[in-house]
Amino acid sequence: MQSKKYSHIDDAELLHNFYNDHDNKWLGILLPRYTLLLLGVCMKYLKNEENAKDCVQQIFLKVINELHKYKVEYFKSWIYMIAKNHCLMQLRGNKNSLVEINEQIIPAEDITVNKNDLIEKDELLNKMQEAIMRLNAEQQQCVTLFYLQKKSYSEVSALTGLSMLQVKSHLQNGKRNLKLMMSS
Amino acid sequence: MSDDLLNILSNSNKDIDNQKLMDYLSDKLSAEEKHEVEKTLVDSELMNDAVEGLEKFKDKIELNSFVEQLNNNLKKQIENKKTKKQKRQLKEMPWLYFSVILIILIILIGFFVIWKHLNP
Repeated sequence: MQSKKYSHIDDAELLHNFYNDHDNKWLGILLPRYTLLLLGVCMKYLKNEENAKDCVQQIFLKVINELHKYKVEYFKSWIYMIAKNHCLMQLRGNKNSLVEINEQIIPAEDITVNKNDLIEKDELLNKMQEAIMRLNAEQQQCVTLFYLQKKSYSEVSALTGLSMLQVKSHLQNGKRNLKLMMSS
Repeated sequence: MSDDLLNILSNSNKDIDNQKLMDYLSDKLSAEEKHEVEKTLVDSELMNDAVEGLEKFKDKIELNSFVEQLNNNLKKQIENKKTKKQKRQLKEMPWLYFSVILIILIILIGFFVIWKHLNP
């Protein structure tokens, strides 16, 4: 199968090849890597299986017709923006509205603590522990169970009595708050 | 434990392959494997949205056939575009052939006229 034959070529290289010769065969290898994810994204917004499938087809067509107009560096982020914008346009029912797509998307900065940093590791640990204590009760509980006790969403949900959606939300918000506290 | 504490803020930039994602959706993973997948979900809006949407599909087994259908349609779309491009190029060719034939005819007529003039 084509996907296995080209599995050693990463997205960046496929994009580079496409921009070099404008041959859509490179898109024929790149896009199927995202079919399942796009299907999920479209289903999340459109809440209908058939509409989600149609939407994915339309997104593919859009990429084939328009990718050459942009200089995309991070294809995953770019196609996610395309998919979201397309779904939102469908929901708004206004196919002509222009939605600004920022294709210069930079991946999230990894602020993994560097152990060679100026601050000593134990000071960092203390700061982190204090930051966790300053989270609200639910965020604290979820962060502790998920990251420190390595529980899954469903286990955290069962232990806390929170729904899966609430667990996800508390984890995302908790992590964001910790980042803010640690960088201040 | 201290490494876990410090690593809370690191971003999991690992890609999850489709099979692992399907296994996650079908609840086939161990608790530990689920946790690894979910660490990526916390950090990736795309993955998070995708999983939320995929969980809404009634029949997870059908997902694979949907993906296959979409990929086959994509392949046809790309082939159609290629064929149209080639046909467009071929369509332009007849004019080229016609022009060449016309030029050859003009040259031949020219030679004939000159020959007639030189050999009355």
